[in-house]
Order: sequence, then structure tokens, then C-alpha cells
Amino acid sequence: MIQGCSTFIHVGQIHVDTSPSAISTVLGSCVAVCLYDTKLGMGGMNHYLLPFWNGNGLQSPKFGNISIPKLIEAMIMRGSLPKTLVAKVFGGASINIGNSANTMMIGEKNILVAKEILKDYKISIVAEDIGGQNGRKIQFNLERGKVQMKYIARSDIGEGN
Amino acid sequence: MEVIIDHKALECDITHSEIEFLSRKILDLNKQLIDSEKAKSRFLSLVANSLINPISVLLSMIPHLDPKNDVRSAKIYDTVYEQALVLDFRIQNLLAAAEIENGQVDISYALIDPTELVNEAIKSLKYAILEKNIQINIHNTIEQKVVSDPKKLYLIIRNLLDNGCFYGIKNGIIDVSIEEKESKLLVSVKNQGEGPKVEHKPQIFTRFAYGPEGYHGLGIGLSIVRDLCELMDGTIDYEADTSSVTFTMTLPLETNLSNSEAYGSNEFLFESFDDAIEL
Repeated sequence: MIQGCSTFIHVGQIHVDTSPSAISTVLGSCVAVCLYDTKLGMGGMNHYLLPFWNGNGLQSPKFGNISIPKLIEAMIMRGSLPKTLVAKVFGGASINIGNSANTMMIGEKNILVAKEILKDYKISIVAEDIGGQNGRKIQFNLERGKVQMKYIARSDIGEGN
Repeated sequence: MEVIIDHKALECDITHSEIEFLSRKILDLNKQLIDSEKAKSRFLSLVANSLINPISVLLSMIPHLDPKNDVRSAKIYDTVYEQALVLDFRIQNLLAAAEIENGQVDISYALIDPTELVNEAIKSLKYAILEKNIQINIHNTIEQKVVSDPKKLYLIIRNLLDNGCFYGIKNGIIDVSIEEKESKLLVSVKNQGEGPKVEHKPQIFTRFAYGPEGYHGLGIGLSIVRDLCELMDGTIDYEADTSSVTFTMTLPLETNLSNSEAYGSNEFLFESFDDAIEL
């Protein structure tokens, strides 16, 4: 049970908050990276739809390679150091079996981007629940830095999650 | 039979490793692209933020200088006011673009009357409308107020109207329709004149990409419209024929105002995490 308020984030959003708040979202093939600063009791979460920004349109955080560095920057701006950060990664399911989204393996590419970028920043992934065929609801509790996760039916995942 | 299965597994492995290899390559190339864009983004944000205060002061002061009966001064006054409004519009777009790039866009819902938003946008574009002698008709079939983000909806409507004024013919008509369809808010802006061809669709919503019609403004208006619509789970598209072009945006209509704002939106999805896995 969380003590503070819980902020729900949608695709393309980044939210950084402090204990005792919580951040939550719903994921299908999208991925959410949760960063937690163990010293400051501060955490942040993003929620991205696609792995790469292709140079067209605005550099929106709906792309993993835009969103993850921005999340890290947001944490650093509020006093974190990359070495005091730990990451938890969720989502990247193969939701649309048999159609083009699956053949493009969006979920897997989303996961790969998270791992590569976190490796670049030398931020270790301490927990993950990725891939598979189920959507996920997650709630990032900033009081303890723990993530509560539930699998959900495909029908409960909105479009673009 | 076993051989076939092995072949399939092998093919699958190759595809996976190829995709991993290519994805890493894209990521590397993208890093270079992002670095070169970073300086531009910072500049964009800095410029927009430093311009917004002076222009707000100017816009609030200029109406007090209205010379009323002095014809010569009235002309100068109109030019100054018109240019200040244009500048304000461009800065608002720059700010929105910077916010979207920074991922700092918060959606805040309120009860709004879409007709009022359209009228406000018309007011801010009054000189462009007067110059072309355009008549604007508003058809609103929604009787009650709707729940949406007023600031973002206003910017969307203002950009669509500005687009309609620029590409609309002289002495023409712009029809603004507001309706509700399947729990969605539909706003369409139809102007007379030749519209962008369907093959130009990808460019139309891309920032800084200009169509064959030439330059107009900063070239980010419609890309902001697309991004704001997407952020609010909506859509934007257009249809064009030989004599008119209609841009239509849809936004899902929020029904529960209090849940969306004060208590963390959509928290009802998370009523219980008792049997959740903790990681």
C-alpha cells in the first residue's frame, strides 16, 4: 500500500518523483525503465513505444533512445549520480502474434535498446520482467524502490501500450 | 520431420541475431544523429523560454495604445499588434516543441467549451483573417462543455486555423466543425483552396519539411498538432480535393474530471496490488 499519491504515466511520458510517492503504468510491447536512487530515495520511470527515433518529427520520448537518456538526465538534474542509480526494466511483450508488429519484433527491440543504453551509462539492471506474451501493470513504489507487477489480459492493454 | 524443425529453429536464430546486430547498428547511428540535434534542441528551448516573457508583456500593453481616431497612428498600431500576435504564436509553438522534446508535457484536464477556444484562436488570427477577408463559420453540435486539456486543444485549433488562413483563398470560407462521435471529440477545419496532395502526407506533419507550396511560418505547426494529438491518444489527418482541404483531429473525450487530476489519473487501474509480484 503506497502512502503518497500515485502518478500514472502514458506512452511518451517521463516522471521523476520522491518517496513516498509511486509511479504506475500499463505495458504491452512498450517498455518502462524504472530508475531508483538508493541514496536519495528518488525514482523515475519512462514509458516508450518504439526503440528508435528515425530523425523524422520531434525527438519525442515515445522512442527508447530518446526517452532513456532523458530519464537519466532528469535524475541527474535532481542530484543523482549514475553510479548511485539502479534500473528495473519491464514490458516488451510480443502482443500481436501473427501480424506485422510481431514480425518486426518491436518488443524485443525495445528491450535491447534499454539494455544497451543502460550499459553505456554503467547503470546495472537489478530486476527485470520482460518479453513473453502478456501485458503488465506496474507500480513503482518510491518509498522502498520496489516495483509491484501484475500480468494482464490482452484485452486490458490499450492501443499503443 | 525433425530436420524441418531444426531448420526452422536455425532460421529463427539467424533472424534474431541479425535483428540484434542491425538494431545495435541503428542505435550507434542514432546516437550521432541525436548528438547533432541536441545543440539545436537546447537552443530551441532557450530561445523560446527567453522570449515568452517579453512578448507576454508586449501583448498585454499594446491594446492600451489603441489610437482610435488617428488614422495614421491606427495603421502603425495595427501593424505592431499584428506582428506581436504572429510572434507570440511562433513562440508558443517553439515552447510546445521544446516541451515535447523534453518530455515535459503534462496533460491537465478541465471543463471547456470548444466554441470558446475556436473564438479565442480567431481573435489571435484576426489580422490574417481580415487581410484575406475570410469568413469563418463554426458548427458546434455539442451542447455541453467537454473535458479536455484546454491549452493543448487551443494550440491545436490555432495551428489548424492558421494553416487554413494561409492556404485558404481570398474572400473564402473556413468551416470549423465540432462534434462528438463514439465518445470522441472531432474538430475539423475546412478551407477553400487547393490542398496538399496525398503523396505529401508524410511531409505535412514533419517539422521543418516544406511542401511544394513554399515556406510558411516555422514549419513546426502541424508537427506539434500531430504530437499533441498523439500525446492525448488522439489522431490528426487531412483530406483534400481540387477545391478544398479538411484537417480533422480526434481526441478521446474524458468523462471523469476529478479522477484525472487531483488523485493521480487512472489510478482505478491499480486499486489492488495485493497479489502482485514484487521486484
